[in-house]
Amino acid sequence: MNMAGRDESELNLNSPWVKILYPLPFLLFLLVWHLCTGNDPQKQFIFSSPEKVWQALLRLIESGELWTNSLVTISEALAGFLLGTTIGAVLGLALWYSRLVAQISRPYITALSAVPIFALSPIIISWFGIEITSKIMLAFLSTVCMALVQSYMGAMSVEKRYLKLMQVVGAKRSQTFRLVVVPSSLIWVLNAMKINIGLALMGAFIGEFISSEHGLGCMIVKASALYDMATVFVGIFALIVIALVFTFIIEKLENRLMVWKKL
Amino acid sequence: MTALSIEALQFSFADADKVVNDFHLQAESGEIICLLGASGCGKTTVLNLIAGLLKPSGGKIQLSTRKSAAETGIDVGYIFQNDALFPWRTVEGNLLLASDLNPILSKAQALDKMGQYLDVFHLSKSVLKKFPSQLSGGMRQRVSIIQTLMFEPELILLDEPFSALDYYTKLSLEEEFCQLVRSQGKTAILVTHDIEEAVAMADRAYIMNGGKLEREFVIRAPHQEESRSTATNEARGSSVFAEHYRLIWKELKQVVGSKD
Repeated sequence: MNMAGRDESELNLNSPWVKILYPLPFLLFLLVWHLCTGNDPQKQFIFSSPEKVWQALLRLIESGELWTNSLVTISEALAGFLLGTTIGAVLGLALWYSRLVAQISRPYITALSAVPIFALSPIIISWFGIEITSKIMLAFLSTVCMALVQSYMGAMSVEKRYLKLMQVVGAKRSQTFRLVVVPSSLIWVLNAMKINIGLALMGAFIGEFISSEHGLGCMIVKASALYDMATVFVGIFALIVIALVFTFIIEKLENRLMVWKKL
Repeated sequence: MTALSIEALQFSFADADKVVNDFHLQAESGEIICLLGASGCGKTTVLNLIAGLLKPSGGKIQLSTRKSAAETGIDVGYIFQNDALFPWRTVEGNLLLASDLNPILSKAQALDKMGQYLDVFHLSKSVLKKFPSQLSGGMRQRVSIIQTLMFEPELILLDEPFSALDYYTKLSLEEEFCQLVRSQGKTAILVTHDIEEAVAMADRAYIMNGGKLEREFVIRAPHQEESRSTATNEARGSSVFAEHYRLIWKELKQVVGSKD
């Protein structure tokens, strides 16, 4: 018998003790950071330090700057995420209807997925301006391909026996789509949503980074120009927190929609 | 009454030899027919052709019980070796598939029918709220059979439906299924590798070889009402049962041996 395997299976991953372990790597990271930068002003200028970042965080919260910029980035990323994921998922699932269209679309989808969003950003900004629309478009373009590809793969990996059953019982194609293809592909769509959180934030961030007046990207660019590394780190941590909150919401949604998967 | 008539059925996959070749079969209402044979002899392909999942390259399949658009049921039901229960739907949701697809069958009618079948297959109502992943193999296959029956098919095709079940579950399911088919006058075509299952369930068994029926065994003649109504499992210990088993095994050995 594999003793290591048995020990692992006996571990209750939902116990409060395991939850206590979650912040441990982060605290370790802060400790190492603190020890490396110490009281050396030169090192702190380049790498900042946990204390300086904490002070910058308090300052940015107090001034309202962090909240305002975060809200702008969240709005842009969320709008792009919703648009990209919805349109991508609908198109990806709809490709199930026609193998011919799916076949012809494949190289275009691959080509679009391969273009770095950074390369598209000057074009998008010159087309849609430096306001919020260009950032939403960049977040949209960052997410749409992922949702499309994942949903299409989900639709094409529906188990043959379900399709056979629907064919035998005389279901129409639209009924098979609604009752089998969509629910069966849901896990793929949810996975795309999880990946797209990061991509949407990246799209919005790149837009802000290149040209904007508000948002975390803009805040980071301005701070790095002034060698204010503490503010740069606050911006990065804010982006991480936003991504974690979005991921948490999607995982809750997944638990609700995929009850059967957890049994 | 002839429920199914197949004449000179032919089928081959692209550029391959004929998988089904000059296949003839007549099945009466209330009859259970069993197809035996070595793997690859075309048994499942015949079922797929009858179900309309494949298009024959020649021959004719006629169902005398073809339903009109105004009726609720379907012509052919198919029970697969691995059930096709949707994991994202509860048992009730899976069983209500018939009313989801057919607006003529109201939900109330479907629920009523569902209750009757649950009784026949000894399933309690508590199972309805469960998901397929929460059921045992035997329960899943029972639910799968009910799901098919909810569509009221006149002809039921079964592709090794009991092969993955434990022995005792298999015996009771075979018996429940046979009683239901015979009492409702439906027709069933069963594909199996299990000679005991064939003798226990079938009225007629056939050995298939090279895509056609090679040998027929009449296990329960239509006029032998007594043997047809006998509980399937009670007959297992009888000498008649053993004789049928011996004859089929002898023939099957020859067919499989000649293939090797």
